[in-house]
Amino acid sequence: MSFESISRRQFVGLACSATAAFPSVAPAGLTPSDFAEALEQFRRIVGKEYVYTGEHLLSYVDPYSLVDDAGAHATPAAIAPESAEQVQAILRIANQYRVPLWPISCGKNHGYGGAAPRMPGTVVLDLNRMNRILEVNVESGYALVEPGVSYFDLYRHIQEKGYKLWLDVPDAGWGSVMGNALERGVGYTPYGDHFMMQCGMEVVLPSGEIIRTGMGALPGNNTWQLFKYGYGPYLDGMFSQSNFGVVTKMGIWLMPEPPGYRPYMISFEREEDIEAVVEVLRPLKVNSVIQNAATIRSLVLVASINATKSHYHKGPGPLPDSAARKIMADQDIGMWNFYGALYGPPPVMDTLWTIIRDSFAKIPGARFFTPEQRKHENDVLKHRALTMKGIPRLTEYSLVNWVGGGGHIGFSPVSPIKGTEALKQFRMVRDRLHEHGFDYMSVFAIGWRELHHVVELVFDKTNAEETQRARKVFEILIREAADAGYGEYRTHLAFMDQVARTYSWNQGAAQRLNELLKDALDPNGILAPGKQGIWPKRFREG
Amino acid sequence: MSTGGLLLILMCLATGITQAQETPGQRLFAKHCAECHADAVGTPGTQRLGWNRGAAYAVLEKRKDLSAEYIKVIVRRGLIEMPPFRPTEISDLELAQLSAYLAKRPARSR
Repeated sequence: MSFESISRRQFVGLACSATAAFPSVAPAGLTPSDFAEALEQFRRIVGKEYVYTGEHLLSYVDPYSLVDDAGAHATPAAIAPESAEQVQAILRIANQYRVPLWPISCGKNHGYGGAAPRMPGTVVLDLNRMNRILEVNVESGYALVEPGVSYFDLYRHIQEKGYKLWLDVPDAGWGSVMGNALERGVGYTPYGDHFMMQCGMEVVLPSGEIIRTGMGALPGNNTWQLFKYGYGPYLDGMFSQSNFGVVTKMGIWLMPEPPGYRPYMISFEREEDIEAVVEVLRPLKVNSVIQNAATIRSLVLVASINATKSHYHKGPGPLPDSAARKIMADQDIGMWNFYGALYGPPPVMDTLWTIIRDSFAKIPGARFFTPEQRKHENDVLKHRALTMKGIPRLTEYSLVNWVGGGGHIGFSPVSPIKGTEALKQFRMVRDRLHEHGFDYMSVFAIGWRELHHVVELVFDKTNAEETQRARKVFEILIREAADAGYGEYRTHLAFMDQVARTYSWNQGAAQRLNELLKDALDPNGILAPGKQGIWPKRFREG
Repeated sequence: MSTGGLLLILMCLATGITQAQETPGQRLFAKHCAECHADAVGTPGTQRLGWNRGAAYAVLEKRKDLSAEYIKVIVRRGLIEMPPFRPTEISDLELAQLSAYLAKRPARSR
């Protein structure tokens, strides 16, 4: 069977454009013969079956790209090592031939670029085969994992062993435990800040040298996954959202199963209620009355679990207000919906719930629900009752179904936990999205001191005009947010440079330091050029 | 018959798998596909197919119209909302087993 044997009709709407297939060009600066020689060296390291070229590269893409040029993130090859030693050997060869490499773990960084590299011609270093769960320590509550371990993998392992431990999961369970933490993703239990819960790394530097961070640097230690800081500068942060090394092992703390658990939902009727909700929320969170990484989810995001836009509105433009009201009635949800959970012995949960209920009851129209009180079988609270106890699912991937066509990209500015700020951000983003014909779909994720306002811009990627419009409004959102003092905590490949430029205090001093570090650690510029807007010298000058 | 199909049969014989036991294809479906495509609540793939094409097409494991060739292409290239799966996630041999399971017949030879 070949791809050509499938009819043209069947290809309509396939996730990646056929024009993106099989780029035959060598990476920038390499002759075709040098590149062929480098690939041969890579084959000697990992085995020829684990160096992918040709049609296998169809899966090394951003399936939700909003870039016109299908070759903008094209890769000429992918290499899949099975050990840190192989990663070391690969980096040494890459230095010799100056082959740029883009490490991925499970490749599920969807909405931010998937498995595709930032720069065309970059070879993907696919770490998915390094999928060993090296240790789960029940007594102290941690795991030591390799890059290819997904949330599903770790969850199933813990269940099979019968350990009384919970992991913290993001919305989509197929992602990498390590990859998500390194991208500084968030989840929904009390351990929702994933990078905060990371402890101890093994990293292969661009030179091929291998290091261990924190207590891992001390031979014979027994605290690598217990004490984050070790001695001297705390290095781990340098390897998150960066291109300074390839992380090959990482510790992650796991939560002991609590003696009690009660998920709940509170719905609010009006768009402007977001101000009062966030004002009530701040003292509750800062004082740990709200124990978990709770979320406030917008109407359309919640609605997308059970419906598509076309069920309520078939014309162009954003969902009209009348349709929003109908969704609220049909799905028994609010314009905003707060999802939280109580953890601990019943008397503790009773006390905390009294404070939470009384605080939110002051907001007119607030309604309180337990999962048992939800009438639909497929319901966000019933689903979040799983994720807030660390059970990975893919249920809320339904958000990509909202408009049809599957495209989605996350716009994620950070703000204080303040009502006025949340209302301002909401109005700013909603107005721009509506002007450009898109719906406002978001979650406010509550951190220890800040809100992540994660806006999902969903678009029909099979429609070139709509995709272009999505890109245009995204650029406007980044610029306007920065002008108001808001920065994104993470972004898609296509916007890494633009967002990096918004962190420009003192003429971009922080980025100059990043470049200084990059040039010192990676003088040949082989590792993830352009990641987070950090370019090695040879590409900055080019 | 493809190498994958032949291997599947040999593996079944070698391990004494009967129809009542889980086949490699079933196991792979449970691992990689079921979260989106099972006949269950909260599975976006099943939901989307039901909306687009009707209830008869919603549940992959109940479909009679899928060919192994088609499944192989969709897994490697993705389909609209569904992202593609790389060979490090599902190997070519596993893809042959998975597609044979969903097509309810072995893949034809390449």
